[in-house]
Formats: sequence, C-alpha cells, structure tokens
Amino acid sequence: MKPDIPAVLAELAGLVARNAAPDIDPAERAGALSLSAALLGMAAEAWDGAAQRLVEENRALRALLVDAGDRAGPIAGLAGAEDDDLSISALSAANARLRAGLIALQAAVEAEDSPEARALESRIWEELRLSTERRHMSSALA
Amino acid sequence: MTSADLAPRLAAYAARRMPAARGVEVRDLSRISGGASRQTFRFRLTWTEDGVPRERRMILRRDPPASLIDTERRVEFEAYRAFFGSKVPVPEMIWLEEGTEALDLPFSVAAEITGFEAAPALLWTEPYLAAHETLARNKWTILGEIARADPFALGLDRVMPPPEPEGCWVRELDMWEAVLDADEAEPLPITRAAIRWLRTNPPPPAQKIGVVHGDFRTGNFLYDRQGHIHGVLDWEMAHLGDPLEDLGWSLNPVWNFKRDLGGGLVPDGVAIAYWEAASGLRADPDAVHWWTLFNCVKGQAIWISSARAWIDGGNREPIMVLPAWGLQNPQDRAILKVMGHL
Repeated sequence: MKPDIPAVLAELAGLVARNAAPDIDPAERAGALSLSAALLGMAAEAWDGAAQRLVEENRALRALLVDAGDRAGPIAGLAGAEDDDLSISALSAANARLRAGLIALQAAVEAEDSPEARALESRIWEELRLSTERRHMSSALA
Repeated sequence: MTSADLAPRLAAYAARRMPAARGVEVRDLSRISGGASRQTFRFRLTWTEDGVPRERRMILRRDPPASLIDTERRVEFEAYRAFFGSKVPVPEMIWLEEGTEALDLPFSVAAEITGFEAAPALLWTEPYLAAHETLARNKWTILGEIARADPFALGLDRVMPPPEPEGCWVRELDMWEAVLDADEAEPLPITRAAIRWLRTNPPPPAQKIGVVHGDFRTGNFLYDRQGHIHGVLDWEMAHLGDPLEDLGWSLNPVWNFKRDLGGGLVPDGVAIAYWEAASGLRADPDAVHWWTLFNCVKGQAIWISSARAWIDGGNREPIMVLPAWGLQNPQDRAILKVMGHL
C-alpha cells in the first residue's frame, strides 16, 4: 500500500492532536476525524497479513520466472533471490522488483505466437488475479 | 488559513465585486468534507442593497496547494456556465478568481443548491432504494444530454481544445499513461497490461466531438428521494472528446459500490439504453468496452496521483490517502473484470 502505512499513521497522529484543540471548526474536525478513522481501519486490516502476503507473492512470482525459462531474459536473475529480510519495507522492495519484471515478461509473452507463450500468459493472468485477492480489504471503497 | 481567517478576506473580495452592496459579510463559513481536488466551503453572504437586506447561500471552491486532479479552473467554470439553465442541471457560477491576491490561491464561487443529497452511501438505504430506476433514468439521460450538446455552439472550444474524431482515444490514453509514468510509486502490472491492450485494439473514431464531463458518476450529483437530479457537480476534468468516454467512466466497475450494477443502480445495458435515447448516438458495444477499460486506467492514474501528492508532501490531507488505499486494488479488479480475467 502506498503511501506506506507507518508514514500515514505518523501524519494521522499529528492530525488527531491538532484536532484536539478546542478552537477547531466542528465541521472541519468531523471531516478530518472521520477520514482518519477510515484510514486507521484500513491500516489495521492490512497490518497482520502484510508480511505473509508479500512473502507468498514473492515466492509465486519467482516460481513464474523459473517456469518462464529463457523467456525471462535479463530478469531471470530475480528468480534465484530469497526473502531473508522480513521487514515490510524489504519485502515490498523485492516485490516491486519482481512485479516490474513481471510487466516485462508479460509484454514479451504477448508478442510471441506459440502455444507455450499462451499457456504462460494464462498463468500470468492467474497470478495477477491472485494478487488482487491477496490485497483485498473488506474496508476498501469499492 | 483557517475558516476564521478566510471569512473576512472573502467578504472583502465580494464587496469589491458588488459595488452597489453595503455591509457585505460572510457568515457560517464551514468546510465541506471530501473535495479532494478543491477545498470546498459553504457560507451565507449577507449585504444591504438599496436599503434592503439581502442574503444568498454560496459555495467557495479553492485550489489546494496540490490536488488529486490538476486541472484548469477556468475550464471547469466555463463548463458549468455553458450548461446553466439547460436540461443539464448545474449550479450558477458567480465569480472566478484566477489570481492569488484575494485568498492566496485561485478560487471560484457558485450559488449553493440546497436540500439535496450527494453521498452515494445514502442510496443503499430506504427510502432511496425505491428510487433507483428513476434515478438511473435521470442520471444517464442527463449524461446523454451532455453528449448531445454542441460544444462549438456553447463556445467551449475557446477553453477546451477539440481533438480530431479519430484522435480522441490516443490523446486521452497518452495523457493518463503519462500521469502513471510520472506518479506511480510501485509497479502496476495489471494497469500496464490494460494499456498495452488498449493501444493494440483502438476504438472507432468518435461519432462527434462532444462535451466530456470527465467525472460523471454516482456521487457527483445532487439527488432527492424521488430519484430526481438537481445538480451535476465536479466538472474539473471536463474537456472535448468522444462522448462515449463519459459513458465508459459511468460504467467503470469501481463506481458500482460493491453492487453488480452500473453505478450501483441498474444493469449496464439499461444505463446504455437511457444514454442512447437521450444522446441520439449509438453505443457500439466494442467501443463502450474500450472506453470502459480506458476509464479503469484513468481511474488508476487518479488514485496513484493522489498517493504521489501525499508522498511528495504537496498535500498531506487524509483525503489524498483514501483513494490510494481504498480504490487501487478494486480498480485493478475492475480491469480484470472488464478484460475477462476475473
């Protein structure tokens, strides 16, 4: 999730403190606090599963790159890495590298006319569908 | 600037614009929550003219330092003004101030339309549930009226550059892809795949160059319990282009509000039929599909740019985070749905 959750929580802490002052316009206070509450709810929902989601997805993306074989080209090197650092920031950075690699792989596969390419393309779409299920939040707006 | 600081400066500005008025005052100035692309306030303007006390309820929309949607306020102002008094209900525009002397930032002032609702959440409760059919008919009929309008007769081509009919799609796609390129904070494989598909499968040329509202959706109009619409709002992304673009935005699945209905109201086919009847245009299914997918990409670009504005520190208001956190993944799922991969 961007912006990063810790940065948003720090900003909300300041916002809530400012709205504790007695001279804030009630309508402005209500607007600020109701939006803050919505964001706090989303952060709470994302918190517990964040590391699990990233580890699971990074593994799935590396497996896709392995299966892509030569088609992975210059991004094949990403397939051999592991998530040794389990901080959210490190996992997110690895995830970003892998998803950037996935974009390149998918574009290359789309341009190739073969049954193998279509099969790999289907696997990529399935992984993309799963990626949206991992990111699902009941508190999302739509 | 707080509301207390803003009120006297706004009153001084109003007094300069109303030379016959005496004792001009701004009362009950309060911020309306939401409004990610403009800071929005309601207030009562009171004054005396020819010895008679007068009052008018007004809306102030002021540019924030960095907004969710970077747009030209004159374009928005002229779009409202073009449709005022037509079958497309809009509030009356009163003043446009593009300078920064009066309130530090550019702003516009409009008459307030009072007594109606805008929040989509109310629509899923009684008594509004019973009015969905009427509301949907009015919603897509009004959108059809916008499509039917002649932007050249309205003079809007003076502030909105008209594209060629065959160039509408590429201009819009280029623009929003550039926003994604500039603002994305992490790779977006689903959105990028959609862009590649859109470029490989372009839509037919526009049937006409029309006015595109740019953000016509459930939540951007004022409605009543009977399903009548009294004001179409949020014209800040208005431009000239293919009228099907607006239809596609209205059918973007993120505006279904977790209901499997166009705009959360009626099946897409019903909405399209209302639009065709009012606009006099044909909604070719392939073209509607293209424009719906395009609008999923456009939506993602808007959510991403709100995150960017927050990350870069230009606007740290919580409203900038809400679409980034709350709509980015639903928008990706909307893309999957429209592309048949869900």
